[in-house]
Amino acid sequence: MKSLEKTMMAILLLLSVVISNAQIKNAKTESVKIYGNCAMCKATIEKAGSLKNIANVDWNADTKMAVLTYDPKITNQDEILKRIALVGYDSDKFLAPDAVYSKLAGCCQYNREAKVPVKVDAMSRADKSEHSEMNMSNHSTTTNDQAVNQLKSVFDNYFLLKDALVKTDGSAASIKAKDLLSAITAVKMETLKMDEHLVWMKVLKDLTADAKSISDTQDIKKQRESFKSLSKSTYLLIKASKPTEVIYYQYCPMQDANWLSKENSVKNPYYGSQMLSCGKTVETIK
Amino acid sequence: MRNNFRITIIILFIGLSGTAQKIVRYDLYVRDTIVTFGDKPKHAIAVNGQIPMPTLTFTEGDIAEIYVHNELNEETSMHWHGLMLPNQYDGVPNLTQMPIKPHTTYLYKFPIIQHGTHWYHSHTGLQEQIGMYGSFVMLKKTNDPTFRKGIDDLPTVPIILSEWTDMKPENVHRMLHNASDWFAIKKGTTQSYAEAIQQGHFKTKVTNEWKRMNAMDVSDVYYDKFLINGKNESQLSHFKAGDKVRLRISNGGASTYFWLTYAGGKITVVANDGNDVEPVEVDRLIVAVSETYDVIITIPADKTAYEFLVTSEDRTKSASLYLGDGIKQLTAPLPKLKYFEGMKMMNGMMKMNGDLDDMGMQMSLNQMDMNVVMYPEITGELKKKGDDKMENMNMEGDKMNGMEMNKEEMKVKDVDKKKKAGMNMGDHKMEGMDNQYDSNALSDIVTLNYAMLKSPTKTNLPKDAPIRELKFELTGNMNRYVWSLDNKVVSEADKILIRKGENVRITIHNNSMMRHPMHLHGHDFRLLNGQGDYAPLKNIVDIMPMETDTLEFNANVKGDWFFHCHILYHMMSGMGRVFTYENQAPNPEIPNPKLAQRKLFADDRKFHFMAENDFATNGNDGEAMYQSTRWSIGTEWRLGYNDHHGYETETHIGRYIGKMQWIMPFIGFDWRYRKMGIDEQERNLFGQTNTKDNRAVFSAGVNYTLPMLIMAQAEIFTDGNVRLQFERKDIPVSKRLRMSLMWNTDKEYMAGLRYIVKRNFGITTHYDSDMGIGFGASLNY
Repeated sequence: MKSLEKTMMAILLLLSVVISNAQIKNAKTESVKIYGNCAMCKATIEKAGSLKNIANVDWNADTKMAVLTYDPKITNQDEILKRIALVGYDSDKFLAPDAVYSKLAGCCQYNREAKVPVKVDAMSRADKSEHSEMNMSNHSTTTNDQAVNQLKSVFDNYFLLKDALVKTDGSAASIKAKDLLSAITAVKMETLKMDEHLVWMKVLKDLTADAKSISDTQDIKKQRESFKSLSKSTYLLIKASKPTEVIYYQYCPMQDANWLSKENSVKNPYYGSQMLSCGKTVETIK
Repeated sequence: MRNNFRITIIILFIGLSGTAQKIVRYDLYVRDTIVTFGDKPKHAIAVNGQIPMPTLTFTEGDIAEIYVHNELNEETSMHWHGLMLPNQYDGVPNLTQMPIKPHTTYLYKFPIIQHGTHWYHSHTGLQEQIGMYGSFVMLKKTNDPTFRKGIDDLPTVPIILSEWTDMKPENVHRMLHNASDWFAIKKGTTQSYAEAIQQGHFKTKVTNEWKRMNAMDVSDVYYDKFLINGKNESQLSHFKAGDKVRLRISNGGASTYFWLTYAGGKITVVANDGNDVEPVEVDRLIVAVSETYDVIITIPADKTAYEFLVTSEDRTKSASLYLGDGIKQLTAPLPKLKYFEGMKMMNGMMKMNGDLDDMGMQMSLNQMDMNVVMYPEITGELKKKGDDKMENMNMEGDKMNGMEMNKEEMKVKDVDKKKKAGMNMGDHKMEGMDNQYDSNALSDIVTLNYAMLKSPTKTNLPKDAPIRELKFELTGNMNRYVWSLDNKVVSEADKILIRKGENVRITIHNNSMMRHPMHLHGHDFRLLNGQGDYAPLKNIVDIMPMETDTLEFNANVKGDWFFHCHILYHMMSGMGRVFTYENQAPNPEIPNPKLAQRKLFADDRKFHFMAENDFATNGNDGEAMYQSTRWSIGTEWRLGYNDHHGYETETHIGRYIGKMQWIMPFIGFDWRYRKMGIDEQERNLFGQTNTKDNRAVFSAGVNYTLPMLIMAQAEIFTDGNVRLQFERKDIPVSKRLRMSLMWNTDKEYMAGLRYIVKRNFGITTHYDSDMGIGFGASLNY
């Protein structure tokens, strides 16, 4: 009896391996291109595309080709490819939403060949200057430019990191912290002004350590903990460097911790949406 | 000479055709049809063989002649939404005209004296839900001084949004009135105790029920499909890179608000409710039921079709229109709502007496959207399960801190409020608090709100006209689906008399838990939104819970004008008023005003029936109810299979009192027969003997809904017996499992479980002090 069970299992397994679509009725098989990079992509693509007993997706990371097997009476190729595009992967029929693509892990950010470049003149890309984030991310690591205050990129990255924490986005915070780390290492100490230099020497160790520990984890709790002392160091630094724009030093009584912000209105990075407006400005740095 | 003459004639002709009014005729044939928008073929109503109804296009200055041929076997009517026209052609049956009888033709003839995007729909019963909606576009004359180059000369696509349910709309209406939670099950928004515990919101759920609220939702009805111009997905492939397209969007849905987002960049809003506004760029906007928006979008690249995504407010489903030719660029779907966050927010706002407390925030114009707490894209994603336990615990602690802090902050707020009654929002801390719900301040996503709308021209009303101030409070009761103004439905209130020439200023406060799109017939009003002389003109204003909005209009066309919530099921429940002018001539279309009024009032006086019976091994258990806005006729029965178990019925006729309808005094009749059963109690808690064995008595009593939604019932019978009973029905244990508990002073008790399998079918088990344990199946209607 048991052996029968085993053989059955074996046969079933075999069947499901050889023709993985054993359960899909009226199965139709097609081969389509889906853009992606790695094994992680493969898992995401196949999970999003497959539906139990209706559709199955088998994607090959080398050829970028996917074998779609589905029941044409219930679904179709477009539905499958749309689901896959909605988790971030382009095909020749659907382009993933930009917001979803940009949230893919670094290793998964494939080359978007399928995308047709936007005609720049056509787009009335009204000046996005108020969305400082857009501008800043462009020159976040341009430290060689002597004209720019060297520490500016450190501060800019600090604010981006703070924004990620406000949004309670652990993975974004980790990425921003990495950027911050490279901005820190890119600073040429010898070109700093005297008073900046002194503070820099003092805080460099902590600054690097905190940025590193934030970038090493996606755990928002730990990140926020490290952010406390990171903010303290940055505060000292920003005081010394006399920023061109007004910076607000803000305080969260719940956490007994401070942070820096470019806006006077409180957006608390230690709590995010739960307690967004908790806290107050304690100092205005000009 | 001859040539000259000819030229003069031609010039004369051109001159003539320029000034003469052009008659534009449409014929609309209204017919029954069968459609398959959902899973199964279902009955619908088509006009000229199509759903939506055909787009009617006119130019300002035309005369419209619209023949409606009613080929249905029921009455119909046609309302021209947002149009300024003579009252008798407004198309509200039993108010401005008699219904169009089956197999007759009716002519609507009126001059087109405005321009803009509007729509038209049936105003009869629930016909709007099953296909009777269509776009109504009125173009500017090319020599119009307000003609805007780069806007009014763009290629235009009329778009009408709608929804489809495979259920009959009458049945939807009935189920809403009987507080069925089937729609919540279909949407996955039961918010049961199991789900609450899973997401760490047990306390939230208990507080919610303590405040006598059922599960919360942003919309009432589950729909099978959402449609753009009658299609769930469609493509307009004739657009190329760089093209700008003007979409004239009307929300023809019966009860659905729609989010609009676009894969190709920003959306530029250029008109609202048919009236121009200064162009404003946004990332997204929500279109209230029956509102219209004109938006301009750009096709950024060649060989790409950009998705214009229309998502229902509850985010269960969406519809897509692809603009352009080639590979389809999708836009990110709106993430699912965080319902328990919403519940927590509601708890904070709900006072024990059922009123809403805005905590001094003076909300208006959709600027402060309390729902942002449920929007993951604004307030962060729901924390996923499966993180390690330690972290979860920490988060718990975190949350607790959060709550305590909130309380503290609220105290501060209270003090603040006392300090400066009717304050401005200048205070810094206050600003911080308010930002909590201002989605534009919370994120990079720009969401349109009413304060951003500005008319390009001055819209001031006549200066020297007398002003009439009116105030309304929007009231409602989700549990019993009663929707009203100042706790009165249409049939309970008098018409509101206004005088021609005066400026009517209406202040509306929403004290109900749902948002309401309030629509005024026949007039555009100014929405006072801080734009001064340039306040936008609208004819619908969406008012969210706790918001207060002020609007004003010049009373300039006599007639009976309906003012109502445009959510179809709210309107049919009586949420509205009629404005009427002093000393107006009788409407020739209404030969018998008394009869017409009775028929108009019949809508919200309707009784709704429900019944359920549990066929169990130990007997039958069931009830039937027949209820209207205020009255309830209900009977319960317990029928055993033998004399030991006994047979009994209780019938109650009662009237609900108060806005929240928590109290219901009633009179009743009780009958029971049995031979001594399992439970041989003959004395009740008060020491009175109680012949359960053969008893037929009248009674009087009162029902009161206690916190936790426990129904307390005190009843005195003609034989002098008194009974006190506590019952809680349908506790949502898990998504589909419901528990009921009952105990009374006759020392009877009952506990039961029901698993909801289908809309009308469940599996049950219960223990009853009279009949013992039983298993069975329940049917409900």
